[in-house]
Amino acid sequence: MSEFVFATAQYESGDWDSAPLVPANIVDTIARYTSIPVAPTGVVVPLSDERMLRFPLLYLTGHLPVRFSAVERRNVQRFVDRGGLLFVDDHNHDIDGTFHKTATEEITRTVGPLRELRNDHPLYTAFFRFPDGPPATSHELNGWGDNLVHKHLLAVERRGRIAVLYSNKDYSSEWNYHPDSKRFLSVDNTRFAVNIVLYALTA
Amino acid sequence: MSAIAAVRTSRTVLALGVAARALAWGATASAAMLVAGAIADIMTPIPLGARIALAATATLAGVASAVAVTWRSRRVVSLPRVALWIEERFPSLQFALVTEVEGLRVWPSVATPASSADWTRMSRTRAIRGLGAPLAALASVSLMLAILPAGAVARVGAPRAGDALDRAASRPSGASRLAPLVASVTPPVYSGVRGSITDEPTSIETLVGSEVVLRGRGDARGIVAVVGSDTVPARRAGDRWSIGFSVTARATAVRLVDRGFARIVAIEPVTDLEPSVTLLRPVHDSVLRAGTGRIPLVAEAADDYGIDSAAFEYIVSSGEGETFKFRSGTLKPTRPPAQTRRLALDASLFLDSLALRPGDIVHLRAIARDGNVVTGPGIGASETRALRIARAGEYDSVSVEAAGPASEDKSVVSERMLIMLAEALEKRRPSLQRPVVVGESRTIAADQTRLRKTVGEVIFTRLGGESVEESATEDVPTKAKSMEELLRRADSATNISNDPLDFGGGESPVVAVNKPLLEAYNAMWEASTQLELGEPGKALPHMRRALAAIQKARQAERLYLRGRPPRLVIDVNKARLQGKDKGASGARLPRLPADSALRARAERFGRIIDLVAGDPAAAVDSLLLLRVDALGNQPAFAAALGDAADALRRGQGARATDALSRARRALSGPIVARDSLGRWGVAPP
Repeated sequence: MSEFVFATAQYESGDWDSAPLVPANIVDTIARYTSIPVAPTGVVVPLSDERMLRFPLLYLTGHLPVRFSAVERRNVQRFVDRGGLLFVDDHNHDIDGTFHKTATEEITRTVGPLRELRNDHPLYTAFFRFPDGPPATSHELNGWGDNLVHKHLLAVERRGRIAVLYSNKDYSSEWNYHPDSKRFLSVDNTRFAVNIVLYALTA
Repeated sequence: MSAIAAVRTSRTVLALGVAARALAWGATASAAMLVAGAIADIMTPIPLGARIALAATATLAGVASAVAVTWRSRRVVSLPRVALWIEERFPSLQFALVTEVEGLRVWPSVATPASSADWTRMSRTRAIRGLGAPLAALASVSLMLAILPAGAVARVGAPRAGDALDRAASRPSGASRLAPLVASVTPPVYSGVRGSITDEPTSIETLVGSEVVLRGRGDARGIVAVVGSDTVPARRAGDRWSIGFSVTARATAVRLVDRGFARIVAIEPVTDLEPSVTLLRPVHDSVLRAGTGRIPLVAEAADDYGIDSAAFEYIVSSGEGETFKFRSGTLKPTRPPAQTRRLALDASLFLDSLALRPGDIVHLRAIARDGNVVTGPGIGASETRALRIARAGEYDSVSVEAAGPASEDKSVVSERMLIMLAEALEKRRPSLQRPVVVGESRTIAADQTRLRKTVGEVIFTRLGGESVEESATEDVPTKAKSMEELLRRADSATNISNDPLDFGGGESPVVAVNKPLLEAYNAMWEASTQLELGEPGKALPHMRRALAAIQKARQAERLYLRGRPPRLVIDVNKARLQGKDKGASGARLPRLPADSALRARAERFGRIIDLVAGDPAAAVDSLLLLRVDALGNQPAFAAALGDAADALRRGQGARATDALSRARRALSGPIVARDSLGRWGVAPP
C-alpha cells in the first residue's frame, strides 16, 4: 500500500503558500495518532498539473482571490469526479473577505454549490469525536477576521461523500506552527486534521 | 357578326371547355391519390416524411394531369383548326370558312348570322360533353373523401408533426391508450427557441425548464405518468388525455402507465451553458512601476441562448502577510438586446482613480450573465489578470545605469588570505629574526583587526543597532570573556530580552541568526591577540575557527522564494516513538479508475440483449432506462441505446442489431490491437 502524502494545492491566482507549516504539522499529527503509512514531508502540487490526480486529499488555502485557470478548473473537476477530497480553508477567516467570495464562487462554478455540512456528519466521527461539529479556532474565539464563530463547515457532496470541504475557521492559522510546539498545548488542536485525512482515505 | 368573329366565339367556348376538363382531371388525380394514401394510412400508419412526400406527389399528379389534358387539346387555340372543326360539322361550307379565316376573300361571304349561331351552339355542346367524364370521376373521388374520416384525409393532405392522434384506426376496447402518443415541447421563453411536436417519442431532448405535454387518445381515467418520484395523473381534454410536466436538470425516464400497459419516454435535459468569456486585453499579468495611467480592457463573450448582461470586474488587494484589505468594483456594465449571442466588451481602467499604493494588486476579469431565469443565471468569467504595483526598491537591481564594475575594497583582506599569510610566516619563522617575525605578524594582525571590525558592523547592523565605529567607543568592543557574554551584549543591544537564552532549549532569533558571526568575531579577536604577540602558529587555530564560522553564517543565509516553502521533514517513527525514518517521500502511483459501475452496466446491457428475442417491448423499456442512466457519462453508448430502442419499437430488426452492436462497442471501449498471442496462446485480458 502506498503511503499517504499530504499535498498542498498550488494555484495561479493567490498566495497558496500562506501556511507553510501546516503540512508538516498534519503529517506529524497523522504519525502521532494513527498507523497510516505517511510520507514524512508534504508535497506541493500545481492544480494545473495532472499529477494532482494522484492524491486523495488536496489542501488549498490563501488570502488573495481564488480564480482557477481553465486547466486548473478542469483538473479540479476530474479530481472530485475520481473521488478526491479538496479541503479549502479561508486563511482570512472573513466571510466578507475576497478569498471567501472568490473561492466559494469558483467552487460553485467548478464543482457545485456549497451547503452547510451538518454537525453529525460522519466526518466528525471519522477518528476523533467532535460531537459539536467542527472545532473552533483561537482566531474565531479571539474575534479576528469576521468576528464570528462558524457553527458549520461548508461542503459540496458527490454521491453521498464530501467532494469539497470548505472552512471559514482559519485552520491554516491555527495549525501553522512547528509540530514540536504541540507539547505546549494541553489539547492538540490539529486532531481534526486526522478526521479529514481519514475521511478522505476511507469514505 | 362576321364569319371570323363567329369562329373566334366558338374557339373561346371550346378553350373554356378544355380548361375546365383539365382542371377536373387534375383535381380528380390529386384527390384519388389522397384517397389511396388515406386508405393505406388507415391500414398501416405512414410515417410523417412519407406522407409529406405523398401530399407533394398528389399535387404534382394533379398538375401533370391538367397539363396533359391541356396539351392534348392545345390546337383549340388555333383559329384555322377551329374553322376546320366547324367545316367538318358543316360540309356545306365547302372550305369557304377556312379560306376566309386564312385571309383569302371569297364572294359571297359564308358568314351569316344564322349559321354562326349554330357553330356556337355546337361548340358549347362539345365543351359540356367533354366535361362529363372528369366531373363524374371527380364526384366519385370526392364522395370517397367525404366517406373517409376527416383526420385520415388531413394526415395525408396536410401532414404535420403531432397528427398521430388524428389517425383513424380501429382499436379494440381493451387496447392500450398509450399509443399513439404525441409530445409537445415548449422551451423556456428566455431561450427564444420555438416549440416542437413529436409523434411517438422515445426520448425528448430539450432545455431544462421546458414544459412537456404528452397527449394520447381515449379517456384519461387510470392513466398516470411516473416522473422521478412523482406520479402525475392524466387530464381529460375532449376525447383525449394529456399529462404535463417540467423538465428538470436530471435525466429522467417518464413511465406512462395505463392499467397493465406501460411505456417509457426518456427525458434528456439540455443544460443552458454559462457564457464563455475571454479577456483579450490586458494579455498578461504585469508589474507596473506606478499606479497611474490608463489600462485598456477588451473582452468578448458568447452564449448559447443569449447574454443578459456583461461587465468588467476588479478587486484591489492591499497588504501583505496576514493583513490584507480589499476593494472591488465593476466597469462599464452592459446590457445587450435580448438573445444576443456574441458580445464585444471594451473599457478603460484609470489607475489613478483607484489610488493604488506600492504593493497593491489589481485583479481584473470580465464576466457575463445569461438570461437563464430557470436554473441560472449562468455566470461566465474570463481568466483573471493581475496588475501589481511595484514596491519601493523593487527595481533597484534593474534601474542601475550601465557602468563598469565597482572597484573592490582592497583594504579588506579575506580571512582565508590571512590564514595563508599566517601559514607562510609560520613556515618561514625558523629562518627569520624574531623582530622580523613580530613585525610581519603585527601587519597580519592589523588586517585581522580590520576584518573583525567589518564582521562587528554586520552583527550590530543586523541586531537593529547602529553601525558602531569600534575605535570611537570606549566600551565596545572590549573582548568578551565568553560566548554567552558576547551574546548577552548583542542581545542587550536590541533590548529584546535580558537573557538571550530564555527560550528554554530552543534558540532565540537573535542567537540563531548571529551565533556563527559572533563565533567568528570572537575567534578573530583571539587570533589578532596572538598575532600582535608575534605568534602566528598560535593564531592559526583561531583564524581557521573564524573561517569555519563565517562559512556557517553564509550557509545560514537562506532565501525562501515564493513557491518553495521551507521543507520540514517529520520523523514519523520518532512521532510514533519508534525511531528514525529515512525522510523521503515515496513515489505515488496513479489511482486506478473505478470500473465497478461500468461492469455493472455491461452486465445490465447483457441482460437486456437476452430479453430482446423474448420480450421486445420490455427490452425497449430496459434500453431506455439504461440510456437515461448512461446519458451523463457515456453519451455515445446512450445514443446507440436510443437508436436501438427506437428501431426495436418500429420493428426494424437490422437497424436495431446495428445499434446494439454500436452500443456494445461504445461500452467496451476501443478495440485493443495486439501483435501476438501470449505464451500460452491465450489473449491477455
